[in-house]
Amino acid sequence: MKHLLFIVLVAWAGIAHGTIKVVTSLPDLADFTRQVGGDRVTVDNIVRGDQNPHFVEVKPSYMMKLKAADLFFLIGMDLEMWAPQIIDGSRNTKLEVVDLSKRIDKLEIPAKLDASQGDVHRYGNPHYWLDPRNIRIIVEDIVAALARVSPGDEQFFRANGEAYLKKLDGKIAQWSATMKSFAGTRIITFHKSWTYFSRWLGLTVVEQVEPKPGIAPSPSHTAGLMTLVRQANIKVIAVEPFYDLSAPDQIARSTGAKVIRLCTSVGGAEGTQDYMSLMDYNITTLAGALK
Amino acid sequence: MHRRLSLLFLAFVLLCVAAAAGFAQSMNPDISVIPRFILHTNDGEKLAEGKREFSRPDFAFEELEIAIQAYLNPYAKADVVLTLPGPDVEAGKLGLEEVYATILRGLPLDLNVRFGKYRVDYGKLNMMHPHAWPFVTQPLSQERFLGEEGLNDLGISASILLPTGDIYSKLTVDLLRGSVIGEATGIEDTTGASPYYATSARLMSFFPLGDFSDLEVGLSGYTGIHDPYNRDRFWYGNLDFKYKYKPDAYTSLVVQGEFLYNMRTAAQDRDFNQFVDADGNPERRTINSSGLYLYADYQFLKLYSAGVRFDWTESPYSTEERAQAIAVFLGFYPVEETLGLRLQYQHTMTEAPGASQSVNMIALQALFSLGPHKAHPF
Repeated sequence: MKHLLFIVLVAWAGIAHGTIKVVTSLPDLADFTRQVGGDRVTVDNIVRGDQNPHFVEVKPSYMMKLKAADLFFLIGMDLEMWAPQIIDGSRNTKLEVVDLSKRIDKLEIPAKLDASQGDVHRYGNPHYWLDPRNIRIIVEDIVAALARVSPGDEQFFRANGEAYLKKLDGKIAQWSATMKSFAGTRIITFHKSWTYFSRWLGLTVVEQVEPKPGIAPSPSHTAGLMTLVRQANIKVIAVEPFYDLSAPDQIARSTGAKVIRLCTSVGGAEGTQDYMSLMDYNITTLAGALK
Repeated sequence: MHRRLSLLFLAFVLLCVAAAAGFAQSMNPDISVIPRFILHTNDGEKLAEGKREFSRPDFAFEELEIAIQAYLNPYAKADVVLTLPGPDVEAGKLGLEEVYATILRGLPLDLNVRFGKYRVDYGKLNMMHPHAWPFVTQPLSQERFLGEEGLNDLGISASILLPTGDIYSKLTVDLLRGSVIGEATGIEDTTGASPYYATSARLMSFFPLGDFSDLEVGLSGYTGIHDPYNRDRFWYGNLDFKYKYKPDAYTSLVVQGEFLYNMRTAAQDRDFNQFVDADGNPERRTINSSGLYLYADYQFLKLYSAGVRFDWTESPYSTEERAQAIAVFLGFYPVEETLGLRLQYQHTMTEAPGASQSVNMIALQALFSLGPHKAHPF
């Protein structure tokens, strides 16, 4: 009987140790969590990298992912408008939902919230993870959240987080150096996904293919963009993997500008298996098109 | 007086919508206002006169739906859905389509409990409000066996997630007042006696079939007293499925269907016509009838959808009163569900002993949705 009790306790300790169950909205957050948590976390994500994170159907299978989770990491700022329904459907009373945007310096907070402005986010533009300098805040908050669930592993998480951020700092310097000569360059993007990214690199996003956030391109807006591209000598139109290329291609054919696919999330293109390779891909693609 | 009160309340709700938009971070509930308009014509109005010609297309106000939703506390939320059904708009009668609270968390076994008046978790289409349908008209089997308003009753519901590993499986059981049976599938109780309870249950499972497609299957049952004078009971069994393939944000295919089986003993039909045998003696009959619908809806270029639906149904009291229909429909949604246009053509054939007819119908439906837009459930 004592042996049986010992085996049960050891098994329980084995399960309890190093198995914090984390679900993230984006695969990028899943990557950061793996970097911090190592083998002491299991991580799953809801949104695929080639999927528009604004529009996610509420599937029961997502509720099952959250049902047994300890932590749910969100970008926040209403990017994941679908999250409350999944959280409610999971029936997980122990789940801690962590909004990673709380300490972020937010951009484009609307003065007026009105559907005539398109799908604007009331708390500001939520695509802050595309400025790699914001990853420090995200990683620090992930470390803190994991440590709340497993205080005994705090040092482990902190050390992993610092090691990752040190490596990331090196990559940021490298990416910045690659893009330095393009500071001030004007580009067009499909959606307002690149506000933080362009601020970091000193790029100027002069216009979007969408007339308003979330609104499909209209013929008159597309015609206006053709004129703008010619007048401002814009070389690049950046489009996320989940948007249709018809309007950007039409502008490109008419003006000679290049259409490139920039990915907002890990897995959005082949070879973007983690955040660093995602940014490698984006920087290489953009720099190549701007040359 | 009633009309004035209703209109005052409507004005109050609309003011709340404006206030909610202006003070997004306040404690105001989410409020949506969704009206549906229709322009329709059919060629069946003069069939009795031996003429088949399309009627003058008529504008109509189908329904105004006002949905209010908010968390009550960390454990529960409440939903209120008010309606001004078309003919009642001018009369100013505000209807209560749904009003219920749901306890989401904090109960043993992670139970969800819902109470109030609500659309019962029965089949797949019943939980959907008509503005969310991809077509204009209700499937014939749903109309005949559940009524125009669907299965929507006062009651209490409990649901539990079943331990089926990674597969989402849910069992929902409802105890209902039984007050809507007479309107839809039975004989209206004018005795003044307390209605008999009805019960409903649904078991559903959701199967992810890869990154782009999913399948949901459900099995429902519903039983109650359909004839309060003879205490005759009915039993419904319902099998439903929904398959969705969505490779990207611009394209999707939905195939959905339901088969309903009705079993009841009855001494009379809903018009109080006594059943008699060949000799004219009263008899109690056992009726086994059924109905089904099946539709496919294909979304293309993000803004458009096109689909086809097939209906076939018998009646709650007869297998000889049959109807079938084929409908084709087109949808245009320029900015998600904020605006929508649906065009539908439907050919319906009805059969009854000694009479059968067919009717063609064309309808153009327009709707808009004012207020917050939630993510679409599967």
